[in-house]
Amino acid sequence: MTLSVPSDSRARPSFLAEQSNLIGLAAIILLFWVLFTSLAPGFVSTFNLFALSRSLAVDVVIGFSTMVVLATGGMNLAIGSIGVCAVMASGYLMQTLGLPIPVAMALALLLGAFLGWLNGFVIVRSGVNSFIITLASASLFLGGMLILSKAQTFNALPPEIAAFGRMRWGFLSPLLFVALGLGAALIVLFRFTALGREILAAGANARAAELSGVPVGRAIIIAHTLSGALAASAGLMLVFRLGAAMPSIGQDWLLPSFLAPVLGGTLLAGGYVSVVGTILGAFLVTTIRSGLLVMQIGNFWLQLFLGLILLAAVMLDRYRSVYAERRSLGRRDSGRRNSGRRA
Amino acid sequence: MRLTIEGIGKDFPGVTALDDVSFEILPGETHALMGENGAGKSTLIKIITGLYRPDRGRLLVDGKPVDFTSPRDAIAAGISAVHQERNLIPRFTVGENIMIERPPTRNGVIDFDRVHAEARKFLDLIDPTIDTRTEVRHLSVAQMQIVEIAKALSLEAQVLLLDEPTASITGHEADALFAVVRRLRDEGKAIVFVSHKLEEVMAISDRVTVLRDGKIAAAGEPISAMNRGKIVSAMIGREERVAEMGTRSADRSQTVMEATNLATSFGHKNVSFQLHKGEILGLYGLVGAGRTELARALIGDGKVVSGELRLHGKPVTIPDVPTAIRRHRLGYISEDRKAEGLILTHPIRSNVAITVWRRIASSLGLITRATERKMVHPLVDKLEVKTPSIEQAVGKLSGGNQQKVSIAKWLAAGVEILIIDEPTVGIDIKTKTAIHELIGEITREGLSVLLISSDMPEMITLADRILVMRDFAIAGTIENSLRYEPMSREIMALIHAGSAEASPMPQTGPAPEAARV
Repeated sequence: MTLSVPSDSRARPSFLAEQSNLIGLAAIILLFWVLFTSLAPGFVSTFNLFALSRSLAVDVVIGFSTMVVLATGGMNLAIGSIGVCAVMASGYLMQTLGLPIPVAMALALLLGAFLGWLNGFVIVRSGVNSFIITLASASLFLGGMLILSKAQTFNALPPEIAAFGRMRWGFLSPLLFVALGLGAALIVLFRFTALGREILAAGANARAAELSGVPVGRAIIIAHTLSGALAASAGLMLVFRLGAAMPSIGQDWLLPSFLAPVLGGTLLAGGYVSVVGTILGAFLVTTIRSGLLVMQIGNFWLQLFLGLILLAAVMLDRYRSVYAERRSLGRRDSGRRNSGRRA
Repeated sequence: MRLTIEGIGKDFPGVTALDDVSFEILPGETHALMGENGAGKSTLIKIITGLYRPDRGRLLVDGKPVDFTSPRDAIAAGISAVHQERNLIPRFTVGENIMIERPPTRNGVIDFDRVHAEARKFLDLIDPTIDTRTEVRHLSVAQMQIVEIAKALSLEAQVLLLDEPTASITGHEADALFAVVRRLRDEGKAIVFVSHKLEEVMAISDRVTVLRDGKIAAAGEPISAMNRGKIVSAMIGREERVAEMGTRSADRSQTVMEATNLATSFGHKNVSFQLHKGEILGLYGLVGAGRTELARALIGDGKVVSGELRLHGKPVTIPDVPTAIRRHRLGYISEDRKAEGLILTHPIRSNVAITVWRRIASSLGLITRATERKMVHPLVDKLEVKTPSIEQAVGKLSGGNQQKVSIAKWLAAGVEILIIDEPTVGIDIKTKTAIHELIGEITREGLSVLLISSDMPEMITLADRILVMRDFAIAGTIENSLRYEPMSREIMALIHAGSAEASPMPQTGPAPEAARV
């Protein structure tokens, strides 16, 4: 008991530590903005800001898609595949069947939600790790889509689609406001609803949550369903942006989808999410991508940079969880913790 | 070998963990080292085994000062420790584990025949029944301890430190372990035995040293001069409070839970009992007797396959835990607070409110933290959880306060029946009393408790009646007379009655009922 004194004094700034993570992230973003603006004045042109806001919208939503599953302590490697399935479904419904845009979009979102539900259902029923299940389903969904669509692009969509994609509110795309609206809804979910709390509880300690009466299986399935719907939303945003439904969409989502939440402080181990952090994380990714583009530095460098940043973010996450664990270890283990600190 | 601890002191930032600790460990004795959590036992062991260096004082081996800079130095000097965390490699064989420090080789390749032959030699000294070619992962926890001791012997240990060796083994296995300890002692080894369990210490030790707040409270007192009360007052610095739980009114007119010939998916057979309103029904048995599994079956985390379960007179089937909690107001506090009981990284607020989220949510499913706080604050105050704020992560609380949070969450849920599994495991003596009083209080308020405990004094202090469980069946029910001696003897008699199964290890030690209290 005597040894716990230092741990108590360290325990206090946890709230500040969380905020300082976001402030630090914002500072890094600002740094890149200053850097890119000084190196390439075109970076802050209204044209580029518009393009940036459109791709930010997509990055934010795919970040959310991964975040809601990270909340349960799992992952979803199938978000790209689910996204492209929704994309191709919307193309088929609009171009081939000629359904009205809102109906086609709603059905595509439903398809995404269904594919996510399927992931969740299989994970809960089989008890197999979500990594393996979604790795398999990623390939399954993608393969199924390619067979059905014969990898044909739907590029004769109603003209309203591309028009909406080009629409500007000020110098920003309305898509960005859609993304931020989804973010607001997720904040409500995780902060103010029983369901959101249950998802986080299941992620932090599934067994304890279960014995406290939380329907853990249901929470996991819902999180995956939501993840599927969000992946579909991201895909549909790309349909608006490109004015076409292309089978290549979604293939490069995996890295940024992890980058955004992890940079933003969402714990890989589950039980804690940061919606604002995910938005900032996505903002950093988009900033770097756009900056390198404006400076005409090739895509190869982008990959290298993003890889480096994810690695750094994961290191940070690891440090954070070790730190959190040390703080949370009870007084019982004070002796052991001391040895850890000295090692 | 004589190990002298002379004026040892150790500081950590802000605290003095050990201060002027002196005593001697002699060859041919079992020396118990006791103290509450945080009293400095672990730090002292780490100094003796070379993990820490003392800031003050010195260690002497046979009168000569030694300076250990690493565990290797301590091992070379003949001091080995068997820690709570096992240091064996699960997928290596017993022989490989024992000989891992210096495997015999031939032409630069490990000679496995000699590995097993050598390991056999050391293992035969303590337990010939373990095969050196078995992979360690197939052994029981008790057998792993034996292997660790054999490994220590192979390193020519003269002083053997056993850190809480009986924490996770059954009574039978502990008896066998004690037999080994006695034999080693008779051969002239010094055994340092760290334990929380008073009965055990009284039964096996020759002398006892007690630490309190980093200082010596009793140094090498012969056990014959000590008794339970003296050791406890040395540990906590005052007399142990006498339990006053016997005053509960035992009104047994209302039966809240009644099991008739239950069989479960875990293998229970013919389990019948009645739990009355406001009663504490004890469920005693050895580890592995099926007590926790029975609790799990009752709350829907397992299946009742036949027989009848009645709650408040109505027959019920409980398909899952949420149903148990919401519809039948039946809750369960796990013995493993950290893994199953609480969400350590989440605040007290969520940990208590988790059982009522669905209930306190508005019709739109919305909850605010303010609603939760309104629910949680009174309970945290009532149970006297010591915390600066209910936003504190539960992992940062002491074990006793964590247990209070566990109880608070079931009070929040408004349960009528609470199954409490090992309520005070890992909790120090002072707080233990507080938890006991709390359990007494909630039953006076009308809650019914099914109490699972391996702690005999706790059982006899708290329970109104005691069910004794053996091999997934009820061996008998005893009315609690609140008198320790006859009660413990009766319980142990039920546990051992008809238990013909032979323990894998020799049983020369006295059964636990011989513990002097």
